[in-house]
Amino acid sequence: MTDLFSLTMQHMVLVLIAIGFSTIIGIFLGIISYWVPYLDKVILWVVDSLQTIPSLALLAILMIFFGLGNVTLVIGLILYSLLPIVRNTYLGLTGVPLHLKDAARGMGMSKLQRMIKVELPLSFPLIFSGIKIATVTALSIAVIGVLIGSGGLGYPIYRGIQTMNFAAIMKGTIPVVVMAVLFDFIMSKFEQKLVKRAK
Amino acid sequence: MKKKILSLGIAATAVFSMALTGCGSKDTVVIGSKDFSENIILGEILSQLIENKTELKVERKLNMGGTFINFEALKKGDIDIYSEYTGTGLTAHLKMDVITNPEEAYSVVKEEFNKQFDITWMEPYGFNNTYAIAVTKAVADKYHLEKTSDLKGVSENLIFGGENEFFNRQDGFEGFCDLYGVTFKGDPKMMNVSLKYQAIGNNDMDATDAFTTDAEIKKYDLKVLKDDLNFFPPYYAAPLVRNDTLKEHPELKDVLNLLAGQISDEEMTELNYQVNVEQKKVEQVATDFLKSKGLLD
Repeated sequence: MTDLFSLTMQHMVLVLIAIGFSTIIGIFLGIISYWVPYLDKVILWVVDSLQTIPSLALLAILMIFFGLGNVTLVIGLILYSLLPIVRNTYLGLTGVPLHLKDAARGMGMSKLQRMIKVELPLSFPLIFSGIKIATVTALSIAVIGVLIGSGGLGYPIYRGIQTMNFAAIMKGTIPVVVMAVLFDFIMSKFEQKLVKRAK
Repeated sequence: MKKKILSLGIAATAVFSMALTGCGSKDTVVIGSKDFSENIILGEILSQLIENKTELKVERKLNMGGTFINFEALKKGDIDIYSEYTGTGLTAHLKMDVITNPEEAYSVVKEEFNKQFDITWMEPYGFNNTYAIAVTKAVADKYHLEKTSDLKGVSENLIFGGENEFFNRQDGFEGFCDLYGVTFKGDPKMMNVSLKYQAIGNNDMDATDAFTTDAEIKKYDLKVLKDDLNFFPPYYAAPLVRNDTLKEHPELKDVLNLLAGQISDEEMTELNYQVNVEQKKVEQVATDFLKSKGLLD
């Protein structure tokens, strides 16, 4: 049982590290797409395409460059998590009402000040919901990490499938589902608070 | 306050990533395996043997994706050892044609891998996990079948079924029928690989293609016919080791070769059976096997 617990923790830590990085990178890319005309199409197209690469193929390609193990899995998860975060950041920023942007400009704020003090805070609820989607997705994708030699709950699940052992499959699957539901619940609560505050 | 939380977060992330990456020590060998029971069992056997016979530590990376991932990882040095099959070495890694003589196939892969990839094929374990024709016990007894060529003159009474791939391969159904000069009753039944054994277990068919070390051969009490005309290419398994690793830890060579010829087709089938059908733990199956061979001190 302790073994399952440590695998679960490992799984969660891997996902959280990946989400941490992809949040930073994703918001950054979202801001760039918002600031630089025409670059938005390129960036959104790239993160869109990343999402369409089959996950095992992506990990196999990454493995050639980054080797086996957790680092490669985390990089793969970061690439997969970018889409919802970048897209929601971009949508959030472009959706800030014009009169507020004008007001900020009228107050003499610089571009960076407007971003940090007005635009980002106003779009944060939407960005956060992007992070939530990315987290829940990453929890389930991380399962295939076992195929490139990284930790987490993939091992019991894949062994279960290979030996047609239903109990082993469930042993690995239930913690993934529980974590996903839990994260979704907690983050949704937080999201509602954010939306309320924004109003 | 916010800054404090942020920097704490970054510090924690850094510590976690370091902990996760781990620091590869010089005295550790990394054992890999493909993602099916047989290869995982072999990986575990290698790991326990090395732990028992040397001072080295073993890191297990068992159950990684298929041939491609294991081989790339071995070439890169992310793993030091995994088990490969001679037929796969020839066709998948060297892109050569199949060689039906087992000794010749082995000596070709041994030489070419050493030259092209700086990787050594150790002595084979002994078993050959290739295709074979299997029939139900009842059919084997009724017609006194031992070798595949015994099917001649009998096969017209038998229904053949197999997985789809067997009908599309160079070393598949048509070639096999041509070489052995056999025809079966009606059209062969084609199905999904996982249904094949169930179908023969239900007596829906009499003969099928099997991998010679499949646990289901034992589960359904099937008779594997000897491929006496050598139609199916050899897939003898052996440990693959990086030459760097052998140079650094020369003691590995003798230890790995302790397994040479130790696992027969029947023994490998039995190990697969214990894991896949009896649901025993791989670690336990490996330990019991090594003990039974007197290879654990």
